[in-house]
Amino acid sequence: METTFVLPNSGHRRDDVATKMGMWLFLFTELLLFGGLFLVYMIYRYMYHDDFLAASLDLNVLIGTINTVVLLASSMTVAMSITAMQKGDIRLSKRLIWITVVAAGIFMVNKYFEWTAKFDHGLFPGMEQYGQLANGERLFYFLYFFMTGLHALHVIVGMIFLLFVIRFIQKNKVRQDKYMLLENAGLYWHLVDLIWIYLFPLFYLIH
Amino acid sequence: MSENNHTSTHAHDTHIVSYREHASTFLGLILLTIMTVTVSVFGADLYTLTVLTALTIASAKAIVVALYFMHLKYDPKIFKFMLTIVVVLFAVFVVLAMVDYALRS
Repeated sequence: METTFVLPNSGHRRDDVATKMGMWLFLFTELLLFGGLFLVYMIYRYMYHDDFLAASLDLNVLIGTINTVVLLASSMTVAMSITAMQKGDIRLSKRLIWITVVAAGIFMVNKYFEWTAKFDHGLFPGMEQYGQLANGERLFYFLYFFMTGLHALHVIVGMIFLLFVIRFIQKNKVRQDKYMLLENAGLYWHLVDLIWIYLFPLFYLIH
Repeated sequence: MSENNHTSTHAHDTHIVSYREHASTFLGLILLTIMTVTVSVFGADLYTLTVLTALTIASAKAIVVALYFMHLKYDPKIFKFMLTIVVVLFAVFVVLAMVDYALRS
């Protein structure tokens, strides 16, 4: 007696929907990680809203706005690189990923100037000026450095992820009929953008 | 947007979002960014209103990014459903924390 077992997706050695779902499940943990931090922010802002307002006025709205535009543009280019890949235009797809990586670099350079300006004023937790601030302002700066720092870490990880994708495209392991790695890298990059969409008004635009 | 550009391709019946659609999405996001910055810079005396408007605009941007850039609009419905569960879960955390702090003496 012989029984044959047929896999639901027989004929394929991969499952694109499941691959994407796995990425989304990971993104959910990221959302809740940042969500917890936003919860801390919300409660301290409720308790010390005058201090939060005073501290936030020292942040550079211009750099924040530039970084917002840079991230939104890079989100567009990575989304377009998926379109290019689906249409079979490998060269354009790679170029668009490179533009995304460069945009991520610009974001980090802006972040560097922003942070070093704060260091010069001694506002990093543990520095002299920081210790003399009011309680709420200290909490604001602590959360500012922690949350934008964690976000910047995600930008760096996203850059590395995208560079790996470029390498995989060169090796023909990511191609027109098999591009889930690019799609997932794109999803990760959009998540970085999503988090910044909330960080920007909550830290830079308080009034 | 451009319904004529919605081409279904090979094996997996994937939906290809056109370059134009991505470009218009980007423009929309830039407009919302300009709005939120303007409200913040010129509406300084409307304290509670600006918090609410800032969050509303940010959420509008987030939804646009999720639907168009992250392809949720064209993915199987299960993805939207799962994301909704996570968002509702987070909303529950927020409400519980708010109730807790609001009722402390």
